[in-house]
Amino acid sequence: MNRVRKLKFVLWAVLGLAASAAVPRFLFGLGSSTNLSDANPWGLWVGFDVMGGVALAAGGFIVTATVYIFKLERFHAIVRPAVLTAFLGYVAVAASLLFDLGLPWNIWHMTVYWNPHSPLFEVGWCVMLYLTVLALEFLPVPAEAFPRLAKIRAVLLKARLPLVILGIGLSTLHQSSLGSLFLIMPYRLHPLWYSPLLPILFLISAIALGLSMVVFEGHVTAYLYRRKPDCDVLASLASAARWVLWIYVAVRLGDLLVRRQMQQLVMPGWRTALFWIEMAMIAVVPIALFSSSRLRRSRSGQWATATLVVLGVVLNRVDVGGLAHLRPDGVFYLPAWTEIAITAGIVAAAVLAFLFMIERFKIWEERPAGPEQDPLKLPEFEPVGNTWLGVPGVAARTTYSMAFIVAAALGLGFLHVQAAETRGLEPTPVHQARGGREVLWIDGNLDGFGVLFKHAEHEKREGGKQSCVKCHHMNFPRDQGTACSRCHRDMYLPSDAFRHDWHASPSGGRVACYQCHARGKARTAATAISCDKCHKDLVPPGALIKVKQYRAVAYTEAMHRLCIGCHITKAKEKNKPEMTRCAWCHKEKREVIDNRAIALRRRGLTAIDVLLPPPNVGKNDGEAGKSTSGD
Amino acid sequence: MRAAILTDTTKCNGCHQCVAACKKENNLRLDLPRRWDLDDGLSARNWTSIVEGPKQSFVRKQCRHCLEPACVSACPVGALHKTSIGAVVYDSHKCLGCRYCMMACPYGIPRYEWQAAVPYVEKCILCYQRIIAGRQPACTEACPTKATIFGDRDELLAEAHRRMRENPGMYVNTVWGEHDVGGTSVLYISNVDLSFLTGGHSPGTRPLPATTSLAMEAVPFTFCGVLAFMAGVRWIIDRRIKLQKDETDE
Repeated sequence: MNRVRKLKFVLWAVLGLAASAAVPRFLFGLGSSTNLSDANPWGLWVGFDVMGGVALAAGGFIVTATVYIFKLERFHAIVRPAVLTAFLGYVAVAASLLFDLGLPWNIWHMTVYWNPHSPLFEVGWCVMLYLTVLALEFLPVPAEAFPRLAKIRAVLLKARLPLVILGIGLSTLHQSSLGSLFLIMPYRLHPLWYSPLLPILFLISAIALGLSMVVFEGHVTAYLYRRKPDCDVLASLASAARWVLWIYVAVRLGDLLVRRQMQQLVMPGWRTALFWIEMAMIAVVPIALFSSSRLRRSRSGQWATATLVVLGVVLNRVDVGGLAHLRPDGVFYLPAWTEIAITAGIVAAAVLAFLFMIERFKIWEERPAGPEQDPLKLPEFEPVGNTWLGVPGVAARTTYSMAFIVAAALGLGFLHVQAAETRGLEPTPVHQARGGREVLWIDGNLDGFGVLFKHAEHEKREGGKQSCVKCHHMNFPRDQGTACSRCHRDMYLPSDAFRHDWHASPSGGRVACYQCHARGKARTAATAISCDKCHKDLVPPGALIKVKQYRAVAYTEAMHRLCIGCHITKAKEKNKPEMTRCAWCHKEKREVIDNRAIALRRRGLTAIDVLLPPPNVGKNDGEAGKSTSGD
Repeated sequence: MRAAILTDTTKCNGCHQCVAACKKENNLRLDLPRRWDLDDGLSARNWTSIVEGPKQSFVRKQCRHCLEPACVSACPVGALHKTSIGAVVYDSHKCLGCRYCMMACPYGIPRYEWQAAVPYVEKCILCYQRIIAGRQPACTEACPTKATIFGDRDELLAEAHRRMRENPGMYVNTVWGEHDVGGTSVLYISNVDLSFLTGGHSPGTRPLPATTSLAMEAVPFTFCGVLAFMAGVRWIIDRRIKLQKDETDE
């Protein structure tokens, strides 16, 4: 396998992983597929995909300006790859927005509903317009291959200069507006990054990044297709990048000086370290390396320095986009694997499209031979299975689709579907109610907001010992009045009341498979015998709750359903509406009540104001009681 | 009338009646503890909450309905809108889910329906539907101790200052919301420093939309300037090439 095929294999696998990660994103929403939260509404997809993607696409407008405005014909050979990179970069940004937006099908709303005060409005418009401009700028290249499009091509070539100028204008606005986005959050962004000059800083760093990206991309493609990069042209770009980086450093440090934030540079803390890493990657090291004319002309020197600038500026975007935000609530954000997979997948798709374009159309002076289309290649056996996969084209496609499918299957396997379905509910094990037959303190998650349940009183009212089964609707074998928390084991999630693994375990129930599942039939829940074949006393007659399945509902749900029904009827019978109110059952922990009572006495109020609502509100508090009684 | 709410935290006893009333009025459903919740109690299903502050005080958290709201200026499609009576309301039909409002809000009020496949932003709308029907918001109506009251903003400001004057030493000498971020419709007076609600710092008196307005106003000029500059440079270079060519021809 040659380099291109290896890379494509990996990229298709990444794409497969991303495809599997996209499933929970659109099926279950952002909460179960990302680690975003109310504290961190923007994450990797904004910080890297959108902000980084736009910055990485800056090469397009810089190179077109160099060649078509400043008429430096020396750089003509790099126009097409640079415009292609920019176009694919913007397509990638638009694609990642479809993942990040909560309502991606409303993305067109920006064309109809206007809010010109919003920097995001401007960013959105610039993305739409510049994507169109880039498409029109690039279209003549693939149109070469289709004689039927000759007329369109001729028109587009005539319109090239206005398009280029328009593209430069839009890019200038757009690169800087990404910085303006963060001007509105001075309390959120760390002072080392927040500056009224953010738009200008973003524009300067985008220019440096654009130049470095062209160098980086030239070297990567040269490595892949075993070509010789045009080191002289790239060296001139590197030299230009050096001066831009000087300006960037000067503006950034000058801004810190003017804003009197220089002391932040030596404040202990990881954000300061982050700033220094960023500055070293964007500025200090690249300027030093690019200043040496020997390194600037050498292949490895260009390679390393360009990579450093690219990574540094992307890091800067990620920092501003979320990493360097202040979090008074202390909720830190680390992307979920699904977020990383989708990000990587979008990058992989862009790279695959880039390679396709390079192999298919005349992006360079000579088209590199695609590894799949080598007619003279000898049959090659696939190394793992030792099978022949066909002629090179077919073999390559077989391998790529295998990579995609296997990765997608693995990804689907990794997905914690249960976690996705719970929609952000953490498992909260229930603690058994404390107390005895007389009074029970029911507070499953021990948060202090519990219910003081007068067990003996209820028992007496319902008819003595005979009434146990009404509430204890299912008992453990050889038990009576099994505690609720034995089956309803989680506060907010349903739990499995039938413990299959325990029954089958040699150290547990020691039940052989055939004892429940008849021989010769599929071993599923449907073919299993019913539990009361063995456990005669499992479901006592006369229970208020009819057991239909052995999937116990959440503890809170079970408790509320069991109590509220009777309470509503009794409240009507006895004409006591307060019986249905939350506070009738939910009284608080002793010390909380005490503390509150002291505080209230100081204000001349009595505890009854806290525990019971005034009679004029809450006539139909039945529903309200249900909705607020989450704890 | 500029609708406003004044919350006097010294009168609040933390009974959560406002929270329950808000839930009922706005049909907010069951509130379960989700992964993405903050511990201030606000969530997509709770538009107001009671936060326990220092010195056993209770502070009701809700949207401040700023006079110049950052969220309204940030929303790219104008889904958030400051009404003439002062409430900041949300139009879910316009929303595209970018969550820029959540990033922009200095008080961290808007919350998101992270659990939903079709999610919307959720926040207090000052019971706009009730105010235009001539009633007061559900929370102020439900308050048993009159700790949170509804009225005209100027009258409530006067009332706040009157209470401070008449009870010297009882309150911290600030009406939170009088000048913060250009003034807000929800005002607080308290015996404790309420800056813990905004992470310990004061949000300043400058309206936040002003921070981006300079950059946004520069947009058309920058655009035209760049276009003109580029066209001009190209014209000059073209002309110089042409002159050079003519010279060599001669």
